[in-house]
Amino acid sequence: MTTATLFVRREVATALRTRWFLIYSAIFLVSGILLVSLGNLNVALYGYRGFAKAFAGLVHLAMLFVPVMALLPATATIAEERESGALEYLLAQPVSFGQVFFGKWAGVSVAVLLALIVGFAAAGAVAVLRGVPPALIITLFGFVILLALAFVALGLCISAIASARAQAVTWGLIAWLALVVLSGLGVLVAFVRWGISERLLVLWTFINPTEAFRIGIVTVLDPDLSLLGPLGASIVERLGAGGTVALTGLTLTAWIVLPGLVGWLVFRRAR
Amino acid sequence: MIVARGLAKQYGRQRVLDAVNLNIDQGERVALVGLNGAGKTTLIRCLLGLVPFEGDLRIAGYDVRKEGRAVRRSLGYVPQRAPYFDGRLSEVIAFFASLRGVAFEAVTARLTSLGLSLVEHGDKQMRELSGGMLQKVLLALALDGDTPVLLLDEPTANLDPRARAEFLRSLGPIDDQKTVVLASHRLTDVQAVAKRLIVLHGGSIVFDGSVAALWERVGATQTLWVRVPPEARDPLGERLRARFRQGMVVANGSALGIPVADGAGVDVLVELRESGIHVEDFWTESPSLQNVLEHLLGENV
Repeated sequence: MTTATLFVRREVATALRTRWFLIYSAIFLVSGILLVSLGNLNVALYGYRGFAKAFAGLVHLAMLFVPVMALLPATATIAEERESGALEYLLAQPVSFGQVFFGKWAGVSVAVLLALIVGFAAAGAVAVLRGVPPALIITLFGFVILLALAFVALGLCISAIASARAQAVTWGLIAWLALVVLSGLGVLVAFVRWGISERLLVLWTFINPTEAFRIGIVTVLDPDLSLLGPLGASIVERLGAGGTVALTGLTLTAWIVLPGLVGWLVFRRAR
Repeated sequence: MIVARGLAKQYGRQRVLDAVNLNIDQGERVALVGLNGAGKTTLIRCLLGLVPFEGDLRIAGYDVRKEGRAVRRSLGYVPQRAPYFDGRLSEVIAFFASLRGVAFEAVTARLTSLGLSLVEHGDKQMRELSGGMLQKVLLALALDGDTPVLLLDEPTANLDPRARAEFLRSLGPIDDQKTVVLASHRLTDVQAVAKRLIVLHGGSIVFDGSVAALWERVGATQTLWVRVPPEARDPLGERLRARFRQGMVVANGSALGIPVADGAGVDVLVELRESGIHVEDFWTESPSLQNVLEHLLGENV
């Protein structure tokens, strides 16, 4: 068995033992199934827009749950072992620092993706049975994977910087609050109170991975003002649907690469 | 086996190791001794390649800086505090055995020989095990895989006296060809494991040699304790003080302690017998390493 496989198995086993990870995964699974089961997916009656609007619920569910499902195991993975002395023991084995860091990265990513596959496979199967094109489900899942990996990388970066598990998880939850919960509200308040420029708002949209995810996937589903919001609609109008999807995909990819690299540099320097 | 030239390490502005030169041969059993903050653990971390350092350091022919993985493959390591790993004991052992490239069965057999049965404890979570058990697990992992060097960083620091004695006993049957480096400030551990002492103080080596050489350097000798009938203790004390230097003969209950040169204890016992003094019991005591170290470090502070 390769070192990478060993780490992946270990991180998956650890995630499966983490109560909160299992609870969030279960809520995501049940909510996803309920949303697509009870939502208005009747394509024949309402046309394409019918399930796009119902799917918006699934998008928002993913925006809320996927980041926290990714952040919980990712923020803990390095900081917890550093705090307990396990990391030093691990690094004293015949492995390189890179194998440990990237092994953990891969392991947490696989654990999160496995939970998402279970949740999405169930919700997706119900949706397909109700007439939603499988390609749409796959596209949505592709964006969810990017969102999850972005938050895994952010969590790993936080974990590399923090000295203790509690600190890392707290920073992770603050990041989740800032990027997921308060982001839209903050933008709205800033816009109303200070009248910040539209360019700045667009920039913020592309800096925030959850906003990029929302605009990207909604553009694929149905680039409608009611779903995209005024800012998203303005972006789609300027860049076109293809450009918007490409740029949001690129934003999420950057969110995977940059925090991961920062985390790696910090991890190496922490020697 | 371990060669260090000009090894130095600085944390911020504090120099923790300073121009350390070392040469430890295969099969040697060496103790790194010193007060807290002397640089013992930092030296161990350098040996493991866990921290960047200045100077040259080679283990089993590998450059620690450039060939970290090969170096760590040559090292078995038991840390001061057994780290907590999530999962059942058998899972944790399987993970580290695979990581070290050794058979799970080999580690299990080693654990059994150390008195820890995986059949009994394999399904337990790591946190359910005692400190002594955990240290045995780490020792079993460190000993397998044909590693030529065993690094022990204060391995008994968090163990109770019984677990400590058991751990030290389990080090006894280790292969003679294995180099053992023990960092400790527990003198019983040092005396039980090592033949050569490297005394660190302020990041520098202030002594490197055998335990006997260290005693010689600070003028320490063995003490012969004789237990005599209570009524004979004081007169005998007077006689012995007249013969030996005043103040060197000490009394402890019904026993008298006499400083004797190596092997001279027998002569003293014969002399007492010929003088008609009935000795109820006798034993020898090596000088306390703590005292010896204090003496030595006193010179260097």
